[in-house]
Amino acid sequence: MATNNGGDKGTRNLVIVMVSFIVVVGVVFSLISNRSSSTAAIPASVSADDGYGIVLNPNSKPTIDVYIDYQCPVCKTFEILNGGYLNEVIAQKKAKVVFHPMTFIGPESILAANAAACAADENEFVGMNLAIFQDQSATENSGKWQGDALLNIGKSIGINSAKFEKCIKDGNYVKWTGNVAAASAQANVNGTPTIFVNGKELDRNTQYGDPVKFREALAAGGVK
Amino acid sequence: MGDKFKVAQPWLTLFARLILGGVLLVAGGLKIGNLQKSAMAVRAYELLPVSLANFLGYTLPWIEIGVGLLLIAGALVRISGLIGAVTMLAFIIAIGQAWARGLSIDCGCFGGGGAIDPEDTKYLSEIIRDLGLLILGIYLYFYPKGRFGLDK
Repeated sequence: MATNNGGDKGTRNLVIVMVSFIVVVGVVFSLISNRSSSTAAIPASVSADDGYGIVLNPNSKPTIDVYIDYQCPVCKTFEILNGGYLNEVIAQKKAKVVFHPMTFIGPESILAANAAACAADENEFVGMNLAIFQDQSATENSGKWQGDALLNIGKSIGINSAKFEKCIKDGNYVKWTGNVAAASAQANVNGTPTIFVNGKELDRNTQYGDPVKFREALAAGGVK
Repeated sequence: MGDKFKVAQPWLTLFARLILGGVLLVAGGLKIGNLQKSAMAVRAYELLPVSLANFLGYTLPWIEIGVGLLLIAGALVRISGLIGAVTMLAFIIAIGQAWARGLSIDCGCFGGGGAIDPEDTKYLSEIIRDLGLLILGIYLYFYPKGRFGLDK
């Protein structure tokens, strides 16, 4: 076994160099690709100061931050239980509401977030948000939202502009979803849905799944 | 006992290398496809400053892959075993403190991670598994020379 030490040593060193190379390249690539991009196109209603979220009623108070992922089943449940009331709050300008569509579940979360942002440019975010959740697939990244699916969801709620179609087909805001992710990471959001009222996180075990308690939590935060 | 151990030791080293290396390689590999989630998993332990937690979330999977590959190939076994053991000790402390503080998180050991329902936590089994891997890492630090390895 010990007769060919030189060759063995060469192989060993080669393996060490190759493994080190993989680790260094991987680390550098990961750090760069998870940073916020200053060149990403952002929707008109998005504010970098609000964590790159889509802002509704920028001049109202208090501020409600909503972190969701369009593929997250609990987020769909949250939308069904509390979306109606939240939309009422938005329509009556009782609060500034900032939506942060996160994308950690994968590629179709990115497509959905892009489509929601395209709808925001048409002033149809609230309707699109609900319509996307209603169309959520039972399995993650199932392929359901590939192709024209999200465009058709938009059409089903009356968004017919050529600009919207191009925005979805070109994936205008795909890069922006990376900025939302980076900002959410800095904001220490570790699951979805996560809701903050004036920067104070609601209790995920009690206040998301019960519309009465959700309404109370918003009222306690100053929503009249 | 002594003689028997002398015969078994190189094979035990091979066994420890393949198990610890294989687990690290798989654990890292499952995470690199979704580093957002990996960073989220580290943040959810609420142990480190957010920026450091995110940095670890993006980089740790690559370290796991590197150490895993070295252990399987049998190169730098002593130091790789030590890194593996230290990593496992850190995981055990992190999971233990999450448990003690009553957080409800997934360990994010093999992808996944983040906040989960309190009834879905499985801290004890996660700690026992990491304890086993910690012992393998310590063994490799003391007995790095084994069968079919590149180290001579």
